[in-house]
Amino acid sequence: MKRLLKSAAAIAVLALGTQFAYAGPEMVSGPGANPECFAPWSGETKFMKWNAKPGPYRIAVVNGFVGNTWRIQMIKTAKAFAEDPAIKDKIKEFKVVSTGTDAPAQLGAIEDFINQGFDAIVTIAVSPDGFDRVIRLADKNDVVIVPFDNVLDTDKVMQVNEDQLEMGRKWASFVLDELKASGKTSGKLLEVRGLPGNSVDRDRSVGIHEVLDKSGGTWDVVQVVGNWDDGTAQKVTADAIAVHGQFDGFLVQGGTTGVVQAMMDAKHPMVPIAGESENGFRKLVAQHSGEGLKGISIGQSPGLVAIAMKAAVSALEGNVMPQLISVPLPVATYDELKDGTNYWSDLPDNFFTVNEFPPCGVNVSGPAIMSQSEADVK
Amino acid sequence: MTLAPLARWLRQNRGFAGALLLFAAIYLVYNLMHPRGFSAAVFVQNSNEAVALAFVAMAQTVPVLLGGLDLSVGAVMTLTNCIASELVSGSPAQILFGMVATLLAGTAFGLMNGLVVVYGRIQPIIATLATGAIAMGLALWIRPKPGGEVDGDLNWALTNTIWDFADTYGFDADSPWLAPFADLPVPILILLAIAVLVWVPFRRSVTGRTVYAVGSAEGAAYMSGLPIARAKIAAFTLGGFFAACGGLYLAIQTSSGNADIQQAGAYTLNSIAAVVLGGTSLLGGAGGAIGSLVGALILRVISFYFRILSIDPLLQPLIEGLVLLVAVSFGAIRTLRVRNKLDLFR
Repeated sequence: MKRLLKSAAAIAVLALGTQFAYAGPEMVSGPGANPECFAPWSGETKFMKWNAKPGPYRIAVVNGFVGNTWRIQMIKTAKAFAEDPAIKDKIKEFKVVSTGTDAPAQLGAIEDFINQGFDAIVTIAVSPDGFDRVIRLADKNDVVIVPFDNVLDTDKVMQVNEDQLEMGRKWASFVLDELKASGKTSGKLLEVRGLPGNSVDRDRSVGIHEVLDKSGGTWDVVQVVGNWDDGTAQKVTADAIAVHGQFDGFLVQGGTTGVVQAMMDAKHPMVPIAGESENGFRKLVAQHSGEGLKGISIGQSPGLVAIAMKAAVSALEGNVMPQLISVPLPVATYDELKDGTNYWSDLPDNFFTVNEFPPCGVNVSGPAIMSQSEADVK
Repeated sequence: MTLAPLARWLRQNRGFAGALLLFAAIYLVYNLMHPRGFSAAVFVQNSNEAVALAFVAMAQTVPVLLGGLDLSVGAVMTLTNCIASELVSGSPAQILFGMVATLLAGTAFGLMNGLVVVYGRIQPIIATLATGAIAMGLALWIRPKPGGEVDGDLNWALTNTIWDFADTYGFDADSPWLAPFADLPVPILILLAIAVLVWVPFRRSVTGRTVYAVGSAEGAAYMSGLPIARAKIAAFTLGGFFAACGGLYLAIQTSSGNADIQQAGAYTLNSIAAVVLGGTSLLGGAGGAIGSLVGALILRVISFYFRILSIDPLLQPLIEGLVLLVAVSFGAIRTLRVRNKLDLFR
């Protein structure tokens, strides 16, 4: 007990010391390291610099929700990338945990890894807010936290994402252009949204509506919630078609394979559609684009985790990094689809097609990940 | 104390004693394996993670003691979390008002649950399924997008050690009389304080004992002239209060509110698991909120292990489920040893 108290007192003194010596990244001016890979989000993006630490590093991935293909593919990519020769020597220890959609558990896991002395923590936030405490602790302990995919509403950490607003804009512009080409400048659209309360869902929808509002046409948009899930999206689309009859175009955030399936089941005419990067959606577009299913497929890649890990290592090495890193949108339209290149007719429908980012040296190809057994990836 | 009362206590609280032992064992091993085990930083982190779940588990316990289930606890926690994210900021008086209002809102929601169950004569599980959806709807209406403002000092003070608490509010943090407690985490003290100040008196009151009686044999309780309606309403109201404590703490911990439907569902299910782990019978009449608190801690510590051991991330849910099943099965071992099956219904 006495020893416990003594060590506790020592920690209290230590805490007192660090209270005043506030560490964390320094705000500097750009440009950052390796700009082809770590592109700053915009002209106003700030740059950060951590004190260089000697490698190799201990890195943890703290995932939230697990249980859909995207997340499983993301975890497999993370493990495969940690073994990649480009980065293997720089990583001493690599851990992945999933906490479920539970904010205290995710915050706890991050704090635990900080306590364990990990150097960087890559995470998909379960909520865009609420991380103030762990960010403060990470800064005190010189730990780099890198949220990606579902990022935080803060500019105090380095984050990695694709521009969701731009994705929404591209989807809407494509569908409007296709409709314009067939002589329609107004009509009825179905928007299939993602998980409610999520920043990705919000931003994509905002981008879509920005373009629709600016187009000048009168668009009657019916919104349904598909949770980025094939089954849910198929059901809500079938319901919407049953209620509203016919739509002129579809704007789908995710679960696109299910949406096309619902269209075909209801004998809905083939119309322009914008959707995610599911293999099944690309297969269907490749098959039916001649009948009018002109599609654009833009993906949020599970490979973002690899870029986030790479960014974390780069920050630990003391490089200047943009606070918000923009990963280019992987776009494929119906006329660009090619079997074996950007979709795979022999892989499952719910597989996500975009995984590689050549400018970043992230070359873990999706099919390679999926065809490997669990044991092989380890 | 001679051994006889202790032996009697053990006989009467087998489930709770088992849970306590299990918790002590797995938490000790966790700390031994953790590179910074037995340090204040680890205790603070662990208790922060456990508090919201422990409160929700305590909230679930009271209706379970009646023989019912409350499917709205997670939703009430989320609703109060969203209310707190609107109210708990500003001057100290405003913060205090916000905290009281949050707790009152949750308590009122629990009271409504109780009234629906007692006077609507609806099974608790169905009634609370419906009211839970109402709570979620209200939460989404209050906070359609995650966010909000909660006082930053409050966040820092309540999610750290006593030392930081004293330091944040300008008390003399290094005064000698504080030293023995300086490294205790504030969250675990809040949890214990609420458990001791609210649950223990309730359990000893006539209303509290009636809750147990109703769970054991409602007919006998009625024939004995116990206030059954009052006990049921009180049970759900107390559940609402505990859930509100969880929601308020979650808001302070995350400095924000989030009407997350999946999180609400996860907390409701985990609360039931924690109640069972803590030695409370799902048939009602036996157990207690302190046991559920320990059950919630066990549930959390199981997941702590994934951070210090290298286990394949995609196998973690499977292993967590297996460990949970084994842990719960310990409570059922008694069934193998009874001479007469009727003993099980005691």
